Amino acid sequence: MITINSISKELKEGITGKRVKALEGLDLEIKQGEVFGFLGPNGAGKSTTIKILMNLIFPDTGKAEIGGKNVQDPEARKVVGYLPENPYFYDYLTTDELLWFGGRTAGMDPKSISERSDILVQRVNLQNARKRPLRTYSKGMVQRAGLAMALIHDPDVVILDEPMSGLDPIGRKMVGDMLIELKGQGKTIFFSSHILNDIERFSDRAGIIINGRLKRVDTLQNLLSGGMDLEDVFMREVASAEGGAAA
Amino acid sequence: MTILWPIALITFKEGIRNRAIYGITLVALLLFGATALVATMIPRDVGKVSVDMALSTVSFTGLLIVLFVGINLMAKDLDKRTIYTVLSRPISRPQYIVGKFLGMTMLIIVTMSILSLLAMAAIIMLKVLHADYFTRFTWQAIILADCLIVLMLIVLSAVSFLFASFTSSSFITLVLTIITYIIGQSLNGVKALIESPPQELGFSVSPMTMKLVQAAYYLFPNLSLFDIKLQASHALSVQSSFVLWTMMYGVVYIVLSISLAALIFRRKEFP
Repeated sequence: MITINSISKELKEGITGKRVKALEGLDLEIKQGEVFGFLGPNGAGKSTTIKILMNLIFPDTGKAEIGGKNVQDPEARKVVGYLPENPYFYDYLTTDELLWFGGRTAGMDPKSISERSDILVQRVNLQNARKRPLRTYSKGMVQRAGLAMALIHDPDVVILDEPMSGLDPIGRKMVGDMLIELKGQGKTIFFSSHILNDIERFSDRAGIIINGRLKRVDTLQNLLSGGMDLEDVFMREVASAEGGAAA
Repeated sequence: MTILWPIALITFKEGIRNRAIYGITLVALLLFGATALVATMIPRDVGKVSVDMALSTVSFTGLLIVLFVGINLMAKDLDKRTIYTVLSRPISRPQYIVGKFLGMTMLIIVTMSILSLLAMAAIIMLKVLHADYFTRFTWQAIILADCLIVLMLIVLSAVSFLFASFTSSSFITLVLTIITYIIGQSLNGVKALIESPPQELGFSVSPMTMKLVQAAYYLFPNLSLFDIKLQASHALSVQSSFVLWTMMYGVVYIVLSISLAALIFRRKEFP
């Protein structure tokens, strides 16, 4: 469903515009109906990968496809729901208007948007705030409104960049329950996190990325074999990357 | 078109609900009040002064809307990364630019219509109070002047979109747009001045300056073309061919600016 082929990307850093390697030869394939957790420390390249998938930045080399379509083709995003890290929406719009926008741009008719909005607004617990401008929302509420928008057109692929970031325990549980629900519906989910427990709870398969290089990709079962927990596996990969860099 | 409408509508809603709009409307109301006061101080020319001041108020407050609401509508998308929300939908970069610009155009037309109605109310009030001094007066000229102000603001807004497509901050876009407005308003006069014979000018203009002014003349929008306040206040007739050419010039400038902005935007990254 999602294919990433030998993607490399350099980004400019700071005022000097010094180029740093954000991704190096990234290869990844995520199958339909799979929940893939993308794990890595801050600045490892998780968000860069997601931004390439959403065509917000372009790869220097390689290509990415979603549902067999190149991500640079807007049609590829018809089947995708995306929630950015720390989303920021239009200050003076309401959740209802945001969902209308999401639905219309995905080609939905007004009746379907209205029906689906009612379900999603209830699901993310924003019934009492749906008519209020988004600038009056707390960070967690904005995150929940963003999640509803990502799902308004019932996408086959859901891409979430740090979906639990900034949420309180209730919000985290709600997003977690939604991930399980989406998994039950057979959706393909690609989510990034640096919270090991989230990856362990929701993923079928996980990839560990460090310094722009994919260090390990495997099923959770294989990663955790031999009585290790994900923290052990992750720390071992970090140590090996640092050792490799030092050598 | 179906994909452009949602972008245009949210842009319009975000703009019309911006608190700055209320502040600018308040400024307009105060200026209309001042029009009534100042015009009555010059009884013989009350008709001319009231039309000129009312149209100037519409033009000035429209400029404030383009600079402080319009530029933010586009620039905030880039500064605050709201653009992630829009570009994650099945929308191409050129569609984003065109949709956003249509929303901005809607905002200018709606706010300018309201401000123009307020201006007309101020003129009607003065006309009722001083009917004798409104002998040379036509609504047609005022409405035409109003329409050209709206077109001028849309041209300026298109130019601000072009700047936003390659600059990295809203402040730079604002500064470049203000510079464009100042140059655009004074281009005609400066070009006419430097092209005058040296004996009339009293000094000679270097060929370099001449070339610079001529380059600016073709590069920047000639915004003074859209200013027929003087003709409206004196109820002078304006040739229909002039109006037609000015409108065509405006439309061509808008199409070129937005096309170029869309072209630049196609390769812009949002890290």
